[in-house]
Order: sequence, then C-alpha cells, then structure tokens
Amino acid sequence: MKKDFYWAILKRVASSILVLLLLITFIFLLIRLAPGNPTQKYLSPQLSPQLAESVTRSFGLDKPIYVQYSSFVLNLFSGDFGISYNYRQPVFTVIKDYFLFTLIFSSISFIIQLLLGYLLAKYSFRKHGKSIDRYLSKLSIILFSVPTFVIGLILVYIFSVKLDVLPTSGIKSIYHDDLNSIEKLTDFFIHLVLPMITLSLAGIAVFYKYLRDNFDSVKSSSFILNLRANGFTKNEIFKKHLLPNSIQPLISIAGIEFGILLGGALLTEVIFSLPGMGRLTVTAILNRDFPLVIACTFIAGLMMVLSNLAADLIKIKMDKRYLKELIN
Amino acid sequence: MLNKIKIWHFILIVLLTIAVIRYTHLINLLCLLLALSQSLFVGNINLSALIDISLIDNIISLLLIITLPITILSSGKIKKLLSRRLKIADSLLILLLACFIFAPVITLQHPDFQKNISVTKLLPPFSLVDYIELKNRSNKNDDNDLKKLINKVVPVSYNENIIFIDSLIVDSSTIYYQSGFQFNVDKNSLVSINNKPLIESKLFLLGSDEFGRDVFTRIVYGSRISLLVGFGAVLVSFILGLTFAFIAVEQGGFANLFLSRLTDLFLSFPAIFLVILIIALFGNSIISIIIVLGFSGWMSLFKVTKSEMLSIKSKEYYLSAKLIGLKNIKLLIREILPVIIVPVTVNLIFQLSNVILAESALSYLGIGTGTEYPSWGSMIEAGQQYITQSWWLIFIPGFTLIISLLSINEIGREINKFLNPTIK
Repeated sequence: MKKDFYWAILKRVASSILVLLLLITFIFLLIRLAPGNPTQKYLSPQLSPQLAESVTRSFGLDKPIYVQYSSFVLNLFSGDFGISYNYRQPVFTVIKDYFLFTLIFSSISFIIQLLLGYLLAKYSFRKHGKSIDRYLSKLSIILFSVPTFVIGLILVYIFSVKLDVLPTSGIKSIYHDDLNSIEKLTDFFIHLVLPMITLSLAGIAVFYKYLRDNFDSVKSSSFILNLRANGFTKNEIFKKHLLPNSIQPLISIAGIEFGILLGGALLTEVIFSLPGMGRLTVTAILNRDFPLVIACTFIAGLMMVLSNLAADLIKIKMDKRYLKELIN
Repeated sequence: MLNKIKIWHFILIVLLTIAVIRYTHLINLLCLLLALSQSLFVGNINLSALIDISLIDNIISLLLIITLPITILSSGKIKKLLSRRLKIADSLLILLLACFIFAPVITLQHPDFQKNISVTKLLPPFSLVDYIELKNRSNKNDDNDLKKLINKVVPVSYNENIIFIDSLIVDSSTIYYQSGFQFNVDKNSLVSINNKPLIESKLFLLGSDEFGRDVFTRIVYGSRISLLVGFGAVLVSFILGLTFAFIAVEQGGFANLFLSRLTDLFLSFPAIFLVILIIALFGNSIISIIIVLGFSGWMSLFKVTKSEMLSIKSKEYYLSAKLIGLKNIKLLIREILPVIIVPVTVNLIFQLSNVILAESALSYLGIGTGTEYPSWGSMIEAGQQYITQSWWLIFIPGFTLIISLLSINEIGREINKFLNPTIK
C-alpha cells in the first residue's frame, strides 16, 4: 500500500513536470517566433548599429535559438530566471513582492470562497424547497455569469463613490507610513475589502452551486435512505455520510480554482490597481520583458500543478479507491 | 394572453416595430435600392466608387426586414421550430440578435458621431439637446441623385451642418450659446421655417460619453463585435475540437494519447495569460482575436465530441459507410456531424457565453479588437474614468453584457434540460 502510494505520487509528479516543461517550451517558442525584437524598445534608431548589436549580445539574443533554449532550460532548473529587461534587476527580486501579495490575497479569498460556499450550501440545504433556497440558487447562477470587472465597478460605484466609505484603489493610503502597526493593518484591511469581495463572489457561487447540487444527488441515493430507515438522526447522516460523499468531487475543482487564483487575479488587480502577479504578467507581456514573462508563467503553471497535486493527495486521503484510479 | 406568445410571434413583433419606427429610413433605402439597380442596367456610373460597407450593411438590413417575416410566415418548418412558449431569456436573445443584424436600421447614427463636445459630453440618459441646422452650402446640382440618396441613408461620423446649442436668441442676427460661450451665425444660412430658425432636438436615449457620442448607438453596434467574435470563435473551436476528436478516435494510439495530454495541459493553465501573450505578440485584429479565443476553447468540445464519436464508431451504419470507402472528410460531415450536433449544441452555447465574456474582458484590458466599432468592454474601460460623475457609462454597457450572458446561459440550460430530462 505504502509503495503504491509513493509510486502514484512519483508518476503524478513526473507528468506534472512534463506538463510544465511543455508549457515553458511553448511560451519560449511563441516569444521567439513573434515579430519584433526586445532591444528595439531601448534603442532609438539614430544610435549606431554597433551599439544595437552590443545590446543584443548583452541580452543573449544573438545566439542560435537552440543554444538559447538549452541555456534557458538549464538556468530555469538551477533557479535562475535571468535579469528583467525592464527593471534591470534579477527576475526573482522583481517577482518576490508581487508573489507574496498574490499568495496572501488569493489564499484569504480562497478560504472565504470555500467557507461561505459551504455555509450557504448547508443553510440552503436545511431550508430545502423553501423560497430562500430557490432565491439563493438563482442568485448563484446570476453571480456566476456576471463578469468580474462589472461586479468590481458596481461595488466601487456603490461603496466608494456613493457611500464614500471605502477607497477605490491601491493597497495603502498616502499617509500609510505615519501610522502605527495596528493602524497600518486596518489600513490594508480597508483597502482590500472591495477587491476581496470582487474576487470571491464568483467563487462562492461556484462552490455553493456545486455543493448544493451534490447534496441533492447524494441525498436521493439509496444508502442514505437505508441509513434513515435504520433510524440515524439527520445531523449524524449529514456529518458522517452526506458531507464526505458530496464534498469529494468538489476537491478537484477547488484545486483548479486555487491554482488559477495563485497565478494572479488579473481583472481584480487591474480594477483596484493592486500589485499582484496578474498585472505583473500582463505588463511584462506588453513590455516584451521576456525573462519576466517566462518566470511569471512558470510560477503560474507551477502553482497550478502544486495545487492540483494537493487536491489529489487530499482525495487519496479521503478515499483510498482514488489511488487505484490514479495508478491506472 | 402573454403566456400564448410564441417565439416566432415575438420575432415578427420586433421586426414590425423596427419597420414602423424607421419607416422613412426604410423607404429611402428602398428608393436607393431601386435607383441602384436601375443604374446597374444603364451602367452610366461607377458603382464600385459609390458602394461601401455601411451601404451594403443597410441594404442587407432592408432585405432581411422584408424577407424574414415572409419566410417565417410561409414556412411551416420554421414556425414549428420556433413555436416554443416565449421566455424572457429568449426574448432578450432575440433583441440582441436584432441589434446584431439590424444595427444600421435600429439607430440611424454613426457610432462615432460627435459634434460640439462641450454641449453634448457626459449627458445623462433621456436628455434632449437642441440643435440648429445650417443650409447645405454645397447644394449644387453637379451631385447626382444617387449620391444624394446615399448621403441621406448612410450615417456619417461628422456633420458640419449640425450645431448643438444650449440656447438661441434671434435678433437682427442670430446668437447661440454653447456652455457659456457666445457665437454668431448668419440668419440666412440656417434652415428656417417662417423666417425663424428651425430648432430641432436630438434624444440621447442612454446618455452620451465623454466625447459626446450616443451611448445607445454604441451599445447597438457593440453587440456586433460581441456576437461576431462569439460566433466566430465558437465555430473555430468547434472545427478544431471536431477534427482533433476525429483524429484521436480514428488513429488511436499515440495521436490519442498526445491529444488527451494536450487537452489536460490547456485545461490546467489559465487561458487568459496565453491569450494575452499571443495577442500582444502577434497584434490584435478582430480575426486574430477570433482565432485565439477559438484556440483557447477547443478542449471541452474535444472531450464531448470524442466521447460521442467513440459510441458512433462501433455503430453499423458508420462501419458500413466506412467499408463503402467514404473519405474521412465525407465520413466526418455526412455520418458524424448530424448525429453529434444535437448533444454538442449545449456545449456550443455555453462556449458562446464564455467567449463573449472573454472578449469583453480583453477589451476592458485594452487589447480588444481595435476596430472602428465600439465594444462593450472598451466602453466600460473608458467609462471607468468618469465613474464619479456619470454612472451610465459603466452601468449601461455592464448591464447589457450581464443580461446577454445570463440569457445565453439560460437558453443553454433550457436546451440541456430538454435533451437530458433527468437533470434538474
């Protein structure tokens, strides 16, 4: 059993690494195939061609493409992402702060999504068939179809423009440095309320809808009927049988959702001008800052793979049968 | 009474309403069409110099507005197909499609029409603005009738003869005011009735934006971008998914394995970054957006079509068709497509709403289609700067987008329910 487990994990990790490598190769090729040269951005046409050549050489763009690729892959695996063309700093230093912000922001949002989704689903399941149940399920469908940026702007309009209680953008006030540590924290908190709601609403709707539907389908299966006929209380059935069975398909979805969140919540970051990975990636793309683009996509892919792996582990922990499925 | 309205009734009502409201425009168009066909036979003018896209657009709208009711009324098949009871989602989608097809008839303005920005900018919905009209100075007879008709029909983005005003004083000379500034104009150069300048007013139904452009017109034309990109990208992903699934099923082995892995790869990575990367590297035009969004959405279609094809593969009719020696293309189009199209429809509809959402998000980020037509997403992006003073610049395109997405999703769910009755 133990051996099986390690074998499955090994296989899973190997395929993940392959996927990551494919992704990076794809992006590398895409960038090198595209028209335009990153050096053009930093040189005016009046400068001498020798200078242009030396800049190209300093970026390492004069070598043949396979040499670039092999050195690029080697550097990647030794943890060296290179130097950002735009910031003139190692990519790692550039990314560090942005990634930290995204990690914290996304994790909190993810927890809120899961928790609220679960609580609402439970509540609406208790109120089975009543009008509140129907309204919640309608609302979840609506929230799911509404684009993030429209929700964000509506929230900004209501809370920042009309009521004037919350700030519109950024993560700290101008006078942030003069505050003491508790005030600093509340300052962060006030700035992140709206982005958090914007980012979480759609996720809450997804988790709610999924869980609610699963509750229904599991409830109508015959083993629940059997348990009820044997006289178990509703609470006991819900906790021990209904919940574990209906939560399982949700875990893979939660894994994917978390991975996407860690890659950067692009639209939310753009609306509220937050310093997250999503905006960093897009600015890097638009600036043709190739080392940064590759690093960002690599990290997004890595997060995706890791969170999927975590989801798989949790699933194995919950249900041993899944291990067999994974091996085959 | 309302319960008895069927879908085709509603379509006819919409068409009739358009025809009644815009009957002068339609009659003008009809005259133009007659004149054009006349000159086609006489052949005395250079037609290709006269005809442009917006003229063709207008004429197509005219032809459709005449032929659509006739086809619906005369064909029993279409009536039967559209005889479901009308739901709100259906009616909204029909209105959206009407905007898509009849945009130049529904609104007679050019989406970029702007004049006298100081008077017309940032007007709230339902505001009326007075304007006076100058007499057409180039009113010589050297322009032929056809040209005049075309000018009457085709919307322009700038009209020097119209002056929007705040107020007007008629003395010995005519004085008008534009946001506090005073201007003079020669009385005789104005279009006038009984020696008094004719003051007409223009309705900004949904307000105007920061350049004094009519939001309603832009919303109507914006539906074209959304739906065009939507249909185009769905078609691209359908063709891709179908072809890949056919290759995977027919070849099996390595091709199957490779395509399945590729699907997993694309499904696991957030598509928006790839889409932005490709668009940023290779330039954004409407075609490239359609292709890229199509490429980013073929995975779910691949999965659905593949599972359907696997069940078809062992059916006798398919085997016999293969033994006869039909070519792959023919197998795909004649034997597989008719069977597959029904279960795939639901997927296609959901894909449509995904693509419309993605397009508006891209436009919002400022890497949209970049055509002359406005897109809902870019309207929202532009309106964001004016959020404190003019709510309609965000809310109207936003709600249009939300309502379109909701109704498309709702129709998808309805069809899904119809095909799989066990789903609640």
